[in-house]
Amino acid sequence: MRIQLNPEKCTGCQICEEFCSFKHEGAVWPARSRISVLKWEQEGIFIPFVCQQCERPACAEVCPVGSITRNEKTGALEIDGARCLGCKMCVTACPFGAVSFDPDRGRAYKCDLCGGDPECVKMCPTGALTFDREEKNALARKRQGAEKLAKYIEAIGR
Amino acid sequence: MRYQGYAGKYLEVDLTTASIEERPLDEALAESYLGGNGIGAKLLWDRVPETVDPLSPDNLLIFSTGPLNGTLMPNSGRMELIFKSPLTGIYGDSNSGGFLGPELKFAGFDLVVFSGRSPNPVYLWIEDGRAELRDASHLWGKDTFETEELLQKELRDPGIKVALIGPAGENLVRYASVQATTTRSFGRAGGGAVMGSKNLKAMAVRGFGPVRIADPERFYEVATKAHFGIRKNDIYPAVTRYGTPGIVSIMNNIGRFPTKNFQLGGYEDVEKINAETLREKHFVKDIACFGCPVGCDKIYRVDEGPFAGLTVRSFEYEAIGGFGASLLNPHLASILKANDFCDRMGLDVISAGRAISFSMELYQRGILKKKDFDGLDLSWGNMDAVFELLDRITHRRGIGALLAEGTRLAAAQIGHGADHYAMEVKGQEIAAQDGRAQQSMGLAHATSNRGADHLKGFPTIDETGYPTEAERRYGQKYLPDMADPRSTKHKGFLIKDGEDYAAVVDSVGTCKSGGNFVLAQIYWPDVAEAVRYATGMEVDEGGLKRIGERIYNLQRAYNALHGMTRKDDRLPKRILEEPNYQSTPEGSVCRLDEMLPEYYRLRGWDEENGLPTQSRLRQLGLEDVIARLGPKLKP
Repeated sequence: MRIQLNPEKCTGCQICEEFCSFKHEGAVWPARSRISVLKWEQEGIFIPFVCQQCERPACAEVCPVGSITRNEKTGALEIDGARCLGCKMCVTACPFGAVSFDPDRGRAYKCDLCGGDPECVKMCPTGALTFDREEKNALARKRQGAEKLAKYIEAIGR
Repeated sequence: MRYQGYAGKYLEVDLTTASIEERPLDEALAESYLGGNGIGAKLLWDRVPETVDPLSPDNLLIFSTGPLNGTLMPNSGRMELIFKSPLTGIYGDSNSGGFLGPELKFAGFDLVVFSGRSPNPVYLWIEDGRAELRDASHLWGKDTFETEELLQKELRDPGIKVALIGPAGENLVRYASVQATTTRSFGRAGGGAVMGSKNLKAMAVRGFGPVRIADPERFYEVATKAHFGIRKNDIYPAVTRYGTPGIVSIMNNIGRFPTKNFQLGGYEDVEKINAETLREKHFVKDIACFGCPVGCDKIYRVDEGPFAGLTVRSFEYEAIGGFGASLLNPHLASILKANDFCDRMGLDVISAGRAISFSMELYQRGILKKKDFDGLDLSWGNMDAVFELLDRITHRRGIGALLAEGTRLAAAQIGHGADHYAMEVKGQEIAAQDGRAQQSMGLAHATSNRGADHLKGFPTIDETGYPTEAERRYGQKYLPDMADPRSTKHKGFLIKDGEDYAAVVDSVGTCKSGGNFVLAQIYWPDVAEAVRYATGMEVDEGGLKRIGERIYNLQRAYNALHGMTRKDDRLPKRILEEPNYQSTPEGSVCRLDEMLPEYYRLRGWDEENGLPTQSRLRQLGLEDVIARLGPKLKP
């Protein structure tokens, strides 16, 4: 499972960042949020960005001590903080910037899917973030794409 | 600072000497005034006496967050700007949504207090606990959009949050706004002119730190309850879909949509400018302020006609009222254009619109003629002339120099009965909110501490009749009058409660529209819990009410220092005497005098002079007000 991103529905409110950081850091701390909304304010383009739990995770592959492993129950790639060396190779390796480094604790951190019930998804007011079976998500997007066609068919009376 | 929720520090910036000092936020100050407009009012009371000209270096310009800014509470992105107003000459504040308030706290500061006047244009750059003044000569004269873009490039960070002025602020237009992250505005009361008078072009902020919470578990519960409460509220779908323009048709239907400079209460062409048309013709996308599940903000685009290609954000009901109905202009694209002009130049949309409709009425009545308007034909609906006039106001050219003073001062200079058409209270222009069709709104305009204002008393419960909310908030005993816009009964109570509550909401840093008044979900007990768990402060509902009342009384006392008394709690004659026939067939006026006595009584103010009594001030812990206003006050 992964957190699915639907940027066209994102309003840029950053509620996901607030609740993510609150869950993981005990404070509202967007700079330490696992999820970030990248913004082009003038154009109104907002793209929520979070680890997509790669099938071939570069972060796990480069980790010299094997501290990044998959939680088989949730599908999340989790960092074992006790084993993490703080070498930041995973931060460098991730092509999307989805792994970050916490200078206070001296270790890397990333989205862990909140143990299977992600806060960001729970609090997102617009459906910009969803957490569902891949098949369902794929169908939802197809349906979205087909909406115009459906309206057209309805209009011409089938 | 032992309280959480606060950054615990603030910046004192003396622009005359270019000195920046970091100071701890005083705990006692937070306990008595919370933050936002509460702390701002206290600083103004302490440091800007009645002798200070608002546009002199001795005025303060205070950017002020509250303890809930940047927290999990819904719509926690609101921030206050406090100053002595150059438009009214009394207490002034203005509130903006967006992202600036939270960013300031992430950068480690609760407030920034500007004093003095820089010898040359400067801007303040705050980055994660550090601050420096930088030269802004190259930005002076630039509009707000250009300035923001240049600052993003110069500071090499597209994520900076800014507050800035445009040419109107630089030219000391008395209702110049301060724009926040481009299209959000500290619109009212002329903060932009104060900023311009200080040679301060902008404040840019970036922060990477946390906002910490005293009791995370309990606070999380309160915040999530508020989030889901808002999302389940009956009017959430409409507010989310249409934003504030959604009320255009609703207000028009009850004759509460000021038209032709308040000559009428409704507009025959309303369908051309209402929310449905706006959405159909121009809607692009929903956008939101920090932490807001509502997202009443939208992006609109014009695809055809002379303004094709124009993209506008943060376009509100007030713009449609001010540049549409009030000017008899049925063209949405030109209203969008006027809004865009005000955002770029840094003008308050409300006061600017009212300055224009005032001009058009003087033209209609023949008090001012074409030659007085530098050859412009100010017939109703002539938007070409409107754009030209807006430009003249911004640059104080020709007749624009007079109109830049605000309608009250302009009317006084024009004479010949012009003051009858200046729709203002205490010098501030009335928004698109007609007190003849909603009695409590008239009272709100009359008693607001910053001059005419719908957002201090913010009566929404009786606007179109919300009996369920009225019962939930005030109980069965005030119905049916409480929810009846035409009744004056209990409206003193409604406005007093609204003013105190708004003072608190504006001091904690959340949105009055998004959760507290328009979408009336959150109320005293919720905010009390949120403040208690966020900060660790021992405050309950009663304590919070006392704080709200203290803030409101202190602002009133500040105005009393400037000579304001009951006689200033008035409305334009038009609202009191000229019937609005769109509201009721027999015509309705605002029956202000039926409401004021109840209001003063509940406030504990003397009915004759309209000032707080010494005993009420003592109850509120405002002994220093008694010391300063002493002889004016009744025991």
